[in-house]
Amino acid sequence: MSEPDGSPPPDYLRTSYRHVRDPRMQKVLRVQAALGSAIREYLDGQGFTELLPPIIGPVADPGVRGAKQATINFYGREYKVMSSAILYKQMMAASLGKIYFFSPNVRLEPLETASTGRHLVEFVQVDIEEAGATYGDAMRRAEDLVAHVTGRARGRLGKELAAFERRLNGGAAPYERITYDDALRILADHGKEVPYGVEIPWSEEEFLSKQFHEPFFIYDYPRGSRGFYDREHQDRPGILKDFDLLYPEGYGEAISGAEREYEYAKVIARLRETGENPSKYEWYLDMLREGIPPSSGFGIGVERLTRYVCGLKAVWEARPYPKVAGVFSP
Amino acid sequence: MSEPLTKLFMKVASVRSAAAAGRTFLESYPVDEIVQKAKYGKEALYPFSDLDEYGRALLGADISLKQATRFSTLDELVLLPPIFTPKRLEKMTDLGREPYFSDVDLETNIGGFRSRLPLTLASMGSTEVAHSQSPHLGKGAAEAGIPMGLGENIATVWGYATRQKASMPTFKQRLFAYLDHLHGPHGGVVIQQSVEDAFDELWNKVYTDPDVEPFVRKGLVAFEVKLGQGAKPGLGGETKVSREVARELKGKYYFPDDPDKVDQDLYERHSAPGTFTEEILRGQLRSLRNHFPRARIWIKAGPFRDLLPLFRVASQERIDAVLVDGKEGGTGMSPVIALKDLGLPTLACLKRINDARIEGLRAPFVLSGRLFDGGHVVKAIALGASAVAFGRPFILAVGVGGAKGVRNFLEATEVEMRMLISSLGKYRVGDVGQEDIGSLDRHLADALNVPFVYA
Repeated sequence: MSEPDGSPPPDYLRTSYRHVRDPRMQKVLRVQAALGSAIREYLDGQGFTELLPPIIGPVADPGVRGAKQATINFYGREYKVMSSAILYKQMMAASLGKIYFFSPNVRLEPLETASTGRHLVEFVQVDIEEAGATYGDAMRRAEDLVAHVTGRARGRLGKELAAFERRLNGGAAPYERITYDDALRILADHGKEVPYGVEIPWSEEEFLSKQFHEPFFIYDYPRGSRGFYDREHQDRPGILKDFDLLYPEGYGEAISGAEREYEYAKVIARLRETGENPSKYEWYLDMLREGIPPSSGFGIGVERLTRYVCGLKAVWEARPYPKVAGVFSP
Repeated sequence: MSEPLTKLFMKVASVRSAAAAGRTFLESYPVDEIVQKAKYGKEALYPFSDLDEYGRALLGADISLKQATRFSTLDELVLLPPIFTPKRLEKMTDLGREPYFSDVDLETNIGGFRSRLPLTLASMGSTEVAHSQSPHLGKGAAEAGIPMGLGENIATVWGYATRQKASMPTFKQRLFAYLDHLHGPHGGVVIQQSVEDAFDELWNKVYTDPDVEPFVRKGLVAFEVKLGQGAKPGLGGETKVSREVARELKGKYYFPDDPDKVDQDLYERHSAPGTFTEEILRGQLRSLRNHFPRARIWIKAGPFRDLLPLFRVASQERIDAVLVDGKEGGTGMSPVIALKDLGLPTLACLKRINDARIEGLRAPFVLSGRLFDGGHVVKAIALGASAVAFGRPFILAVGVGGAKGVRNFLEATEVEMRMLISSLGKYRVGDVGQEDIGSLDRHLADALNVPFVYA
């Protein structure tokens, strides 16, 4: 984990057809499948409905750090490939209440992310949304889910994990909760100043994560540091009702979640933070104008979870055909 | 009037009005002065012609004005050299000899970029007059070691990397005409994104482009949030495009004439001014920092009445530079009524910058709007600007001699600045201050808190 550079070795990605047959990689993939089952087992048991994920649409999540969306020509008009299915989560929570999907996402990340060991251009996240839930509820849900899944991993996957010499923490909920302000203070105490209002940069996030031995939450991010759909505290303007769950030991961000803005007038003002013309989000705004219930939810990256459970050096070891920024590979 | 006569009358009137517009520009803008500089570089700084040459001429200050202006300009201010010059003594002590104007250090940090001069090439957008010449402009600016702006709608109209029109460069060609000619540590590029460019995620495209990456890593790329422009504050960008281009852009811009239904040569294309509140702007600036942590963030503001509150937000959000464009700022297209009636004159914008300095706001300010010579630069700096942006002078200069015309013009301007600053007994840009300036007009002197020179 002390590897300063998480870049894949040259040519490694080009020959992924070979690596998938390594016994070690086969183990990783079996663990990944078992983690998927454990996630479904938990969510189905809690009354969630699994839906088919959207892949393309007129708009996708613009709130993704520096990454570009992939565009396809849809019969002469533009469609975006989902950078996240956030808008559809709100759509579906309004219908079925408690929903989730295993959502494939594409984010054309900046080249600098090729060396973080935590970024893939193509990945899958389990996207979870619950109508009527507060962000406190969503945090408890996230914690239960991670505790359940890591618990299952320690039990059922004990033998597989032994191969990775992995001692896995993460069973003992509730996890510690610190505010964004606390996180900045901890970093400042270690001589790492992060200016207020900015999402915690990747190297600082990794450092912070190394200070913990169990997963932990950072909550109440300031407005402007996150997507337009994270709801603002009514009595604390400028502070959002949102959170991240971070894995310990330097593995970093596991989950991002929030209570959602669902009121039309608030969303349209927040949308301007992206610099875009709100008309681009026509269907979404029409839906909000007609009214949807409040909801909260989060997304948990499957490859990052696998990396954490197996103790892998980089997230590209947790996908059979990884796509890393700037590297053309199978 | 019979129909053919009406047509003839209209035609004559249109030629006359076009000629009148051209004549007004020639009369009111120092075209000749800039053309001479672009042709001859620093040789053009002395008012000799074929008739008078050195040794035969008798020269003195021109006391006339070309035209009475409707509002005050920087030309109503003069620089006030002193006889007692402690800073010149300091410089002499450093050098061990009398200092000359060539000893002035003009290097300036402009919004995170090192610039050889306190001067940048103002952002120019997709309008053909700037766009067609842009590769030469970029080369000239890069070779001179000053930052350059890339305005709105270039990629959306002319293509990011694939040409929309065979004769017109793409956004990337324009960008690399500049980046490829940088040498040494000076320069940097400032890229705007209109609401419509945002539709295509221009900034994300630039930030994830492997060709641009080395320049991002070196800190040579800034993104500029455009809050209006001098010639039309409160209105969006406007230009005219061909039917073919109009059809492609139809969904992204406002076209008063539908290119699918109306057949004409050119179509007005309007972009939205963008809606802001203080909260929206703050959110947008923070999002930018989050999304593009390695890019510098600039703001370009039109001549709005609430500049000072904007400066406060910029200062609190640690914006790298705020460029303010006065109402005399150039444009490829703007309604006459906007040119006439909208916004604060450049000098009034400079006054707001001065207020911001007095309040202790730290953001670097860049001033633009009909500024065209070394005197304008030094006066703007004396009143609190960190640097100045020129637009039209570069377009004229590039028209005269391509990239060489740009370099010549900059050479002349550089010598002007050196002479003026050294005359004030100063040898660093940062030492120029309010004490160096006086006003020819009493009201202006009071407003700017500088001496009325006749008092």
